[in-house]
Amino acid sequence: MDQPLQTYIEESRALLEDMEAILLHLESAPDDRESLNALFRAAHTIKGSAGLFGLDPIVSFTHVAENVLDRLRDGQLAVSAGLVELLLQCRDHVSGLIDTVAEAGAALSDEQQQAGERLLLALHAVLGEPGTAATAPAAPPVPKEHAGAVETSGGGRVESDAWHLSLRFGRDVLRNGMDPASFIRYLATLGEIVSLTTLAEALPEAAAMDPEGCYLGFEIRLRSEADKQAVENVFEFVHDDCDIHILPPRSLVEDYFKLIEALPEDNHLMGEILVASGALTTRELELALACQNLKAAAEPPDEAGPCAPGKPVGQILVERGDTYPEIVDRALKKQQQGREHKAQEARFVRVHADKLDGLIDLVGELVIAGAANALLAGRSGNAALTEASSAVTRLVEEIRDSALRLRMVPIGETFNRFQRVVRDVGRELGKDIALEISGADTELDKTVVEKIADPLMHLVRNAMDHGIESAEVRAAQGKPARGTLRLNAYHDSGGVVIEVSDDGGGLKKDRILQKAWERGLIAPNQNLSDSEIHQLIFEAGFSTADAVTNLSGRGVGMDVVKKNIVALRGTVDLDSGEGRGTTARIRLPLTLAIIDGFLVGVGSASYVVPLDTVMECLELSAGERAALARRNYINLRGEVLPLIRLRDSFELGGEAPKRENIVVVSHAGQRTGLVVDALLGEFQAVIKPLGRMFRHLKGIGGSTILGSGEVALILDVAALVKQATAREMAATDAAQTAMH
Amino acid sequence: MDIDTQQHDGLCQATLAGEFTIYAAADAKARLTALLDACAEVELDLSAVSEIDTAGFQLLLLIKREAQRLGKTVRFVAHSRTTLELIDLYNMAAQLGDPLVIPAP
Amino acid sequence: MPKTVMIVDDSASLRQVVSIALKGAGYDVLEASDGQDALAKLTGQKVHLVISDVNMPNMDGITFVKNLKQLPEYKFTPVIMLTTESQEGKKAEGQAAGAKAWVVKPFQPAQMLAAVGKLILP
Repeated sequence: MDQPLQTYIEESRALLEDMEAILLHLESAPDDRESLNALFRAAHTIKGSAGLFGLDPIVSFTHVAENVLDRLRDGQLAVSAGLVELLLQCRDHVSGLIDTVAEAGAALSDEQQQAGERLLLALHAVLGEPGTAATAPAAPPVPKEHAGAVETSGGGRVESDAWHLSLRFGRDVLRNGMDPASFIRYLATLGEIVSLTTLAEALPEAAAMDPEGCYLGFEIRLRSEADKQAVENVFEFVHDDCDIHILPPRSLVEDYFKLIEALPEDNHLMGEILVASGALTTRELELALACQNLKAAAEPPDEAGPCAPGKPVGQILVERGDTYPEIVDRALKKQQQGREHKAQEARFVRVHADKLDGLIDLVGELVIAGAANALLAGRSGNAALTEASSAVTRLVEEIRDSALRLRMVPIGETFNRFQRVVRDVGRELGKDIALEISGADTELDKTVVEKIADPLMHLVRNAMDHGIESAEVRAAQGKPARGTLRLNAYHDSGGVVIEVSDDGGGLKKDRILQKAWERGLIAPNQNLSDSEIHQLIFEAGFSTADAVTNLSGRGVGMDVVKKNIVALRGTVDLDSGEGRGTTARIRLPLTLAIIDGFLVGVGSASYVVPLDTVMECLELSAGERAALARRNYINLRGEVLPLIRLRDSFELGGEAPKRENIVVVSHAGQRTGLVVDALLGEFQAVIKPLGRMFRHLKGIGGSTILGSGEVALILDVAALVKQATAREMAATDAAQTAMH
Repeated sequence: MDIDTQQHDGLCQATLAGEFTIYAAADAKARLTALLDACAEVELDLSAVSEIDTAGFQLLLLIKREAQRLGKTVRFVAHSRTTLELIDLYNMAAQLGDPLVIPAP
Repeated sequence: MPKTVMIVDDSASLRQVVSIALKGAGYDVLEASDGQDALAKLTGQKVHLVISDVNMPNMDGITFVKNLKQLPEYKFTPVIMLTTESQEGKKAEGQAAGAKAWVVKPFQPAQMLAAVGKLILP
């Protein structure tokens, strides 16, 4: 697709998003003038550019909508809920139209077509116009041929077959940037200028002459096939400032006579000029002057004679002297705001996402190459080389951060899309639900943002459908009738947390448990923590239509939600209290491409622990080592720290060295110690996803290539911590059972 | 726009250089009329006029007329291509052309 | 030396199309996304004609033209205002501010070329 059209589609989609946000905002702030202006501007831009591409359906539809928006901002129409609803539907319709442009060859469905016609009728009704489904002009017609209709009654005609133009330019045209020379050059493109006489009679003596004023007039004969409209249009920009008379070929002699009269110059001089230029023959001129004399003698003209008042042909009556309406100065304050906003906006550059991805890939390679370089420099023992190399490493690190930041976008845009969803779904369900958004500025990788929209949509719909109760139930429980849904985002230990909260009924644990038993997901009497119970609803077998109707909780497609989030190296958990509502908390990595890691060695293998999960490193004391034979935890400053021996977990075999170390990692508030042989230091890992074969591996999140060319596995700390915690709890339970 | 003047025995030779447009018109008018006041015979070299518009054209016309009115002489010589183009468009070669030299294409 | 035209509009696609049409006709083209952007980009440039939309964020076309006409190096530069049939009032406002030419939106590239051609040659 050609580039401007592609730009148009992107730009229109962005504008449509703005329109949606504004319309929703108007529901609560119907008098916001600035919003009304912005709304009009958006529609105006969509229409204006559509015309350039010949997208007539968009032009004609948007045109009518724009008229409504124009009246809204003029205050002729008031914002009402019904009107906002109508405009939202119009927005959707335009969006559909844009889609058909995007997919070349696509057409509107019959349904959309009918919807469009229905909307047009509704818009016309708002405008108080008789509604026909397609009255608006499409792309403006290029001026139509007006046959140079010449009145046939009365008077003789001149023989000349050329147009005659008398131009007297106004004093201000040059100051206005209008140069007569340009118009005349343009006129020459319509045909052939047979003759041109420059009149400078109006040019005063030097002392009185304004060097920026225009004093010129022209008598021009033009031979052209162009129609009257086209000839007139050459001077459309100076109509108001100039005396312009245009006589078509073979005009009435009388018209020339009138022309001579109308022109400021001496009549005889004009007559000579007209004869000299070939516009009139000498005989015609004599006739004209004779008529003039007749008139001067106040004799009634001979009705049949050549001086009979034929209808004026092709005379442009210049209406002038109208003063322009006073211009209302905009409030200075508004300008100021605009300026500040502009200052930020002007710094944006649009870059194709593919280019960024390419850059980030390259930076990934650079990081690996840099690590190899640093490694070799270190081995060489050359101090200067090592120093230079570490400088490079530091810069590469900065470049990496900057490159990744380029792809970071605020989540706000994604959140804002839910305004409409919440409003529409709420209406559908007959529930009054407000959406509160916070943390909209929180940034995360664009690729993550794109992929999180679907799971979020699921969670939001679920919260509205099953979480928030009906107004009656809420009233009975003493809650405000209006339900509240919250979307929140914030950064937390190297990742991003997105929360979807409702103030609804909350999850009902006993019913979930009952359902889970029925489904065979858990054993009867199995002891589960609250969060484990909540996690059950993410189980595949749990999500059935049955579950939806039987449970007042949630259930539809939650396993899909979880799967999508896990695919982003994220996690989801639920926090719920009966009667208080539910919060779904999604944790996501900031980016999918590169992580800061902590490199550890176990035997000959290397592992990368995501640095943001590492709390501290300590040496495993001899006493603790001995104790570890019996138990899997140590006492760390008075707290139990469950341990995982990577050597055992990954079945690496081999003897543990004399000294072992513990890397204390934390995830979601739970801490675990990883027992490793060696601490190898910080390391930037470019994540290479694991092949399909290794996807099921627990505790491994990906792989990376070390500077030495060796492969290191990246640990999935979340899974490891969960594993350790579960084991610890089982052990505690077992111990408790044994004690009873 | 620049006007460079040299004087020999009552003949003022001046060179107009640069953009001879409305932006320079006020300044040009003052300098050209001053030149005419000072000299009985003026030769204006237009070869370095890079741009001329109707405001510039009017000044040529004005200075020519003033000279006639005051009984002095103004000659335009070595018209630049762009100057010739405008004079031709306005069909004023007879008045403003003087020794019209058509530059080699 | 080709003449330079500046197109000021918040629609990037409109700017691109106009730009392509004008470049095809032999003009040099500068683009700006609104009045402020245009004022910033005009400084130090020689622009022979300005095409400006009316409705733009940050600085609308009317304000822009008023500001433009205050600049000594642009006070006589022709301005084409992009108007809409629904905004006859704006056309008058634009003319009062100094934009004496206009093109009605939506327009075809040929219409824009005609309007520009009446004011300056490439």
